[in-house]
Amino acid sequence: MATWQDDLQFYTFHFMHYTDLPADQKKYDSLWVDFSNKNFDAKKGHALYQRYMAEMVLADRLGYDGLALNEHHNTVYSLNPVVTIMAAALIPQTKNAKICVFGVPLNLEMPNRLAEAYAMLDVMSNGRLEIALPLGTGMEYWANSINPAVARARFREGLEVLLQAWTQDGPTSYDGEFYSYRYLNPWPKPMQKPHPKIAIVGTGSPETIQIAAEHGYAYSSVFVPIVAQEKTFAKLREEMPKYGHEFTPDKAIFNAIVYVAETDEIAERECKEHVQFFFEDATRTTARYLSPPGYISAEQLRMRAAATASHGGFDWEALTQQWRVVFGTPEKVANTLGKWCESANSSRVLVHHHIGDMPHWKVVKNMTLFAEEVIPRLRTRKKAAAAPAPTLQGAK
Amino acid sequence: MSIEWKAEEHTVNGVKTQVLSAGKGEPLMFWHGAGTGGGWDFLAPLTEKFKVYLPYHPGWGGSADETSMTTTQDFVMHYLELLDLMKLGKVDLVGFSMGGWFASTFATQHSERLKKLVLVAPAGLRVKEHPTLDLFKIKPEEIAPYLAENLAALGPPPDPTDIDFIVNAYREQTSLARIAWERIYDSKLPKYLHRITVPTLFVWGKQDRIIPEAQSATWTKLVKGSKLQTFSPAGHLVLNEKPEAVKAIGEFLAA
Repeated sequence: MATWQDDLQFYTFHFMHYTDLPADQKKYDSLWVDFSNKNFDAKKGHALYQRYMAEMVLADRLGYDGLALNEHHNTVYSLNPVVTIMAAALIPQTKNAKICVFGVPLNLEMPNRLAEAYAMLDVMSNGRLEIALPLGTGMEYWANSINPAVARARFREGLEVLLQAWTQDGPTSYDGEFYSYRYLNPWPKPMQKPHPKIAIVGTGSPETIQIAAEHGYAYSSVFVPIVAQEKTFAKLREEMPKYGHEFTPDKAIFNAIVYVAETDEIAERECKEHVQFFFEDATRTTARYLSPPGYISAEQLRMRAAATASHGGFDWEALTQQWRVVFGTPEKVANTLGKWCESANSSRVLVHHHIGDMPHWKVVKNMTLFAEEVIPRLRTRKKAAAAPAPTLQGAK
Repeated sequence: MSIEWKAEEHTVNGVKTQVLSAGKGEPLMFWHGAGTGGGWDFLAPLTEKFKVYLPYHPGWGGSADETSMTTTQDFVMHYLELLDLMKLGKVDLVGFSMGGWFASTFATQHSERLKKLVLVAPAGLRVKEHPTLDLFKIKPEEIAPYLAENLAALGPPPDPTDIDFIVNAYREQTSLARIAWERIYDSKLPKYLHRITVPTLFVWGKQDRIIPEAQSATWTKLVKGSKLQTFSPAGHLVLNEKPEAVKAIGEFLAA
C-alpha cells in the first residue's frame, strides 16, 4: 500500500481576503452576506489582486505542487466570487504548479457551464487543473438564488450531470428534478481523461464524506481542527472500500494554517495578529447565516447550537492547542506536519501561508522558508515503517 | 380558556399527520401558519359551536417531515386525501397566513369540498405596492414585534437561547423554505381565484406588519362576493389579539 511519503505534495491555499475594513467593522455581527459592499474600494481591490497573484506566482517559482483557490460570495473573506477567473489569470503566469480550484459551489452554477469552465482551464493549462466540489457554506445560499432546503439533493444531481458531461461523448441527454438537458455536449472537454482530479471539500458532515466515499474522491476538510480532520479521514478510509474504491494517501488532504520563522517566539509574534484577524474578522458571521433553513438537519443544528461557534471567535490558546495554527521553526513545523501525515496516511498538505491581513513580506518569508526548510525535511523524514507513527491522541 | 385537544394520527399518502380536535358541531378545519409556537387557545370560542380539526402541516408541530412537499399543490393534495381519510364530506375551512395560502389554493380547485371559507391574513399573493415581509430576513428571536400590536396577548416570549426553541424554529423554517424560499406567493394564484365559489370572509389586523392589510383590496376584488372584516389595533396574529375576530368568524360560518 502506498504511504504518505511516496507522493508527498504541498499546496498553498490563498483565500484572497479583502482586508481594508472600516474602523467600525467590529460593530457588525457578520462580514458575510449583508456587510455592505459600499465598503469595497476598487483601487484597493486592484492592488490586492496584483499582490495576491504575485504571491501565487512566487509559490509556483518556489516549487509548490499546487496553487489552491476558492470562492465565496457577499463577503470580505474572498475577492474570488468567480474563482475560475482568478484561475485563468494564473495560468499564463505559472509553469508547473497545478491550479487547484477548490472550488465553485456546484449548486451556484449550471453544471454544463461548470463542465465548460473547468474544461477550458484544463485545456488552457495543458492539464494542470485539479478541482474540488463544495456544497458551499450556508452563507452562499443567502447570497444566491438557490434554495438551501434542497441543496444536498441538487448537489448530487449537479454532480451527476458534470460527470456525465465528462465521461460520455456528447450529445447525451439528462432528465432530472433540478436540471434537464436535451443536448448535453459541452465543448471543450478536459485535457486530463476522463476529467481533472476531483476532491470533495466540506466541514466533515456525514453527507459530504459519503459522496467522496461513493465516488472514491479525495476529501478536504476546512474550518475544522486537526483532530476532526483526522476523524474525517478515518471515516473516508473506512467507507471507501464499501463502494469498491481504494483509499490512497492523496485522498486525504490536510489543511493547516502555518507560519515559519527563525524561532518559535518570532513566529508567534509575527503571525498572531493575522491569525486573530482571520478568526475574529474574516470568518465572522452569524449562526443564522451559517445554517440557512434546511442547509442542515434539525438534529445537526442541535449539535451545532450546543457546540462553540466555529466562526468569528479567537482564542489563541485553544487554536494552538487544537493545532489549527502551526507556527515556529522549520524543525518544529516539519515535525508537527509529519506526525499528522503519518498518522492519517495523508500525502497532501494544503497550507495557508497568507493568513488574514498578513502583509506581503511575511507571506513571502513564510512561503519561502516553508518551501526551502520545511518541505525538504518532510521529504526526507524517516519513513513511517522505520519509526512507529505517533498518534493524534496527544493533540486536544 | 384552554382547550382540551384530542390528538389522532393519520397516515396520508405515507406522511404521518397529527390532527388535533376539540368541540362539538359541524366540522371546521383550521390550517395554521408558518409557526406553531404560540398555542391554539384563541380558537376556544369556535369549539363551542363547531368540531374544530387542527391538522399540523407536514413539517410542523406533531406531523412528520416530508421533504417532497415543495409546493402549495402538495399541500392541496395532502388535505384532499386527509378529508377523504377522515370521511369529512364538506367542511368549513379557516386558513391563517401560510395556511391561508394553502386554503385559497385548495378552494380554487375544490370548492365542492367546502361550505364556507375564511382567510385570515393570507399569504400567497404578490401585491407589489404592499409586499409581504420576507420572514427569512427576521431572526426567530426578533420576530415577536412583527407579529402583534399587543405583545401581551402572545403570552411570555420564548427564551432565544433555549435549544429546543432554536431547533423547532429551524425545523419549521426549513419546511417553509421548501415551498417559499424563493418567494412566498404564487404568481398564478390571481388568475384562478375566481374559481372560489363558496362564501368567503377575509379577516385582517389593520396593523399587520407581515402581510399588510392593504393586500386585502386585491383579494376581495379577485374572490367574487367576498367580505372583509378588519380589526384595530391588531397585527398579524389578529386571532390571538382580538377575541372579537374569532367571534366574527364563528358568526360568519354559522350564518
